[in-house]
Amino acid sequence: MLRLDTFTQPLTAKTAAHLLRRATFGPTQAEITAFTGLTAAEAVSRLISNANYSPPPPIDLDSTASTAGQPYLDLPFNGDRNFAFGHYLRYWWMRLMTDQSAPPSLLDKLTLFWQNHFVATRDVIDDYRFVNRYLLLLRNNALGNFRTLVTQISKDPAMLRFLNGNENEVGKPNENYARELQELFTVGAVDFDGNKNYTEDDVKAAARVLTGWKYTNFWKNGSTSFDTTFTSTKHDTTNKTFSVKYNNTVITGRTGTTAGDAELIDLVAMLLKHPQTPRFICRKLYRWYVNPNVTTEVENAVIIPLAQFFASDANNYAIQPVVEKLLTSQAFFDDTNIGSMIKSPAELAIGAMRLFNQPVPDMNTDYVAFKKYFDFMFWRMRDMQMALIDQPSVFGYEPYYQTGYSQIWINTTTLALRSDYTDAYIWQWLEIKTGYKMGIDVVAWATSLQTNFADVSGTPAITCVDVQTAFSKNLFALDLFQSQKDFLIDTIMMQGVPRQSWVNEWNAYRTSPTNTNRRNAVKYRLQNLMRYMLRMAEYQLF
Amino acid sequence: MKRRDFLAAASASVLPVFLDGFGLKALNRQSALVQALGQTQAAYSDRVLVIVYLNGGNDGLNTVIPLDQMSQYNALRSNIAIPQAKVLTLNGNDKTGLHPAMTGLRNLYNDGNLSIVHSVSYPNPDQSHYRATDIWMTGVEANVTETTGWAGRYLENQFPGYPVGYPNAQMEDPLAIQIGYLTSTALLGSQQSMGIALSDPDSFYQLVGGTSATSPSAGGLPCCDAGDLIAYIRKQQALSVGYASEIKRAADAGKNLATYPDSTASNALAEQLKIVARLIHGGLKTKIYFVSMSGFDTHSGQVDSSDTTIGDHATRLGKVSAAIAAFQQDLTLQGTADRVVGMTFSEFGRRANSNASRGTDHGVAAPMFVFGTNVRHRTIGQNPDLSNLSGQASNKEIPMQIDFRRVYTDILTDWFGTAQTTTSSLLFRPFPTVSLFSDMVETVASGDWTNAGVWTVGRVPTANEYVRVNAGHTVTLRQSVDVRNLRLDGKLVTGGYTVRMTG
Repeated sequence: MLRLDTFTQPLTAKTAAHLLRRATFGPTQAEITAFTGLTAAEAVSRLISNANYSPPPPIDLDSTASTAGQPYLDLPFNGDRNFAFGHYLRYWWMRLMTDQSAPPSLLDKLTLFWQNHFVATRDVIDDYRFVNRYLLLLRNNALGNFRTLVTQISKDPAMLRFLNGNENEVGKPNENYARELQELFTVGAVDFDGNKNYTEDDVKAAARVLTGWKYTNFWKNGSTSFDTTFTSTKHDTTNKTFSVKYNNTVITGRTGTTAGDAELIDLVAMLLKHPQTPRFICRKLYRWYVNPNVTTEVENAVIIPLAQFFASDANNYAIQPVVEKLLTSQAFFDDTNIGSMIKSPAELAIGAMRLFNQPVPDMNTDYVAFKKYFDFMFWRMRDMQMALIDQPSVFGYEPYYQTGYSQIWINTTTLALRSDYTDAYIWQWLEIKTGYKMGIDVVAWATSLQTNFADVSGTPAITCVDVQTAFSKNLFALDLFQSQKDFLIDTIMMQGVPRQSWVNEWNAYRTSPTNTNRRNAVKYRLQNLMRYMLRMAEYQLF
Repeated sequence: MKRRDFLAAASASVLPVFLDGFGLKALNRQSALVQALGQTQAAYSDRVLVIVYLNGGNDGLNTVIPLDQMSQYNALRSNIAIPQAKVLTLNGNDKTGLHPAMTGLRNLYNDGNLSIVHSVSYPNPDQSHYRATDIWMTGVEANVTETTGWAGRYLENQFPGYPVGYPNAQMEDPLAIQIGYLTSTALLGSQQSMGIALSDPDSFYQLVGGTSATSPSAGGLPCCDAGDLIAYIRKQQALSVGYASEIKRAADAGKNLATYPDSTASNALAEQLKIVARLIHGGLKTKIYFVSMSGFDTHSGQVDSSDTTIGDHATRLGKVSAAIAAFQQDLTLQGTADRVVGMTFSEFGRRANSNASRGTDHGVAAPMFVFGTNVRHRTIGQNPDLSNLSGQASNKEIPMQIDFRRVYTDILTDWFGTAQTTTSSLLFRPFPTVSLFSDMVETVASGDWTNAGVWTVGRVPTANEYVRVNAGHTVTLRQSVDVRNLRLDGKLVTGGYTVRMTG
């Protein structure tokens, strides 16, 4: 049932994998095993408590630089390195998303949700220190309180830059932030039935509330700090009257150095009192975690009760309990919501690294390999239309708001790029460092399935079915039909020759594992199988 | 799922079998050629539309500048106003000029290959990027939401059932191509996008793998959303493979004959239009191309602090102008110009008043450009009347003169040859023509001759235009006027004045 009530059955491999795929960037096989048998509540509680709020800081990844391998955020601002230092923040973040050695946590998937909600981009923010502070604000408050998040982001230097809040002054309003604060960050443009949630005059009034905020030391070479400032002389001190959409709220104009904060608190209070705000946020969370398709049934049975809870006096806009409720709900685990979304490039790219256990090189001691690993992922994800901290507009990535939703990730070109990405795991052409070729050693994998490898006469060979079963374990969100498995074995792996030939070829290889021809004979079949499975439509779903 | 169905579905991404692959492609090409030779082309069938989206809300008042109202113009936006002496003047039109960066478009105008459509918008305009973009792309009233795009609906009407059974002998090429990685709402049909995304025709074939494909079966899918998504992805797989060889053929055969801004100019629009021209020249039968350029949301710093004729907005307009001019030149050299028309649009214009950040906030109406050898009037509508703007003192808005759906109407009916009744249903109701592709200026209502709203072109007819007073309309003269020719299907109240015919 699509209800908010708690899902109480112990997790199976399938439901555990579902939770991990949605709450993180994709599970490892070990994580699925570890989560099987837990209740949803226990599992989500682990995903929350595993969060690491003090990861090591980003470091300079340019091996030719004098500060190579060293942290740079505590150094004076260095404009010559601005792009690189901003860019390395992405790799720093991607490490937290990808690293399989850390216990699984939902923090960074949720941080990405907020970053795609309160969008600001590296390109426009520009100063790498601003980008860092913005990212940490989102990450440290991702599970915190929404009121705090909205209040803090409204005067965050990166956001002030991104939406021109720093240029919004008394008598010279710049409405950019005031509009997006309402349309995108809190109340939303329209309600579920399409009625407008605020007026154009509300945009103008909110802009006046937000006058006077600035930031210091932007792009100032040699500066060691920067901050948000409030200039009372640039602030509009008159009363601001809002429309009936906000119950004709009047925000009293204030003067002096505390005016900006005082009015901002009133403004956020007004925005959060709007009945559509909690629904807008909960609907977006549902689309992120459960299913982009929000039917009237879902709106009534899930979104509205969740929103009531989110905004209730007892909860007062705390985020963590809402995420817990959603991820442990019957709706979340409903069969119809498993495989109901197309993976984003992040879920595809990072998910594959994690499922196939491609270790992240140590950022501090092995930064050249570390950079190579994330260079590959970042630029591929960008080509697949998901450049990290670089959304095409303030709306975020199109598949999270536009009609069609996750389908938008897929078209003739991006589909080909996805295949090209997963093919790289098969061909293993990317050498991360000496002795570490990114990808799947299919022969080693098959070998690990074979008991008593060398005992050819005494121990039967693994069959095609064994191989197909093992290679597809937890690979797809949905089970394949038997006809599909047969097709994969007979047509793709065996190319029409009888299945018995596999046993012969495999045993021939077992007999002389150093014989290149024999090795290639089995490798070819295994690669065909795995490459095809990763190119299947089913693999794009999660 | 039956094994046969799954085979059919899965073969879209099957590993390439090169010998078979090449053999099959050669056959396909041959049969397509035979098909093409055997087909009699309907009058409109080779016509192409290029949609140029200026993402962010372009500042119309600094794009098309009202030279007849420079004092009001300067008063509204002193910190970003273009000095009168720098504005590009237009032949035969002393009232209107173009931004100094737009020499390419100025030349197109002077050659009669550019229509400026003034103050385009719609009733009850929306100032949210998202909603306004949706209204333009879906082609609806401001209070209506619609999941299909206006161009998508046209294509679906022309090619029913797409994508099932496509490509086929009648249409072996993509119906629409968006240069880039995502497809726009404008191209959405009832089930999915009617277009495909293409970033680089040279690598597309290689990337897709160019293997044979049969149409995936709809049956044998898991239930619910997952099943729908799998079916969708398989269709995309089949389409990409199905179109790959045709695109490669066109890309190989097509050539750019004009000089485009070089890569150091970072002119993304020029790069996109260059691909479009090459595919058109290469014989691709695609009906609609969608290209775009972003960065028009100029809330801040749209002009340089020391010189308002340069800066961010000038750079972008310069790129748009240079890209379109090179594209048009390319089509001319290729000999394809007569079958291509292009239009620019942006989700809204910007406010008439500038803000203190040397920028402009979201506004209402803005000009569109329609380009090609087939446009028949260099201006549609007239300069906005800056003394009579809507809105409060420092928040003056430019009101609508021309509904954007009138432009769509002319494209669908007069350019693509869609029946009028069909166009009306595609746009949910009838809209009057703006005579984009017709020499004839017609009445849309009764009234004084000098009332701009009486005429399809949104302004008073000039001495060298053909004029028709439509049946049921009465036009009253308050002075004598000159026209090329007058046809009276309705009534003319002369009041003693005369209509002189110059033609």
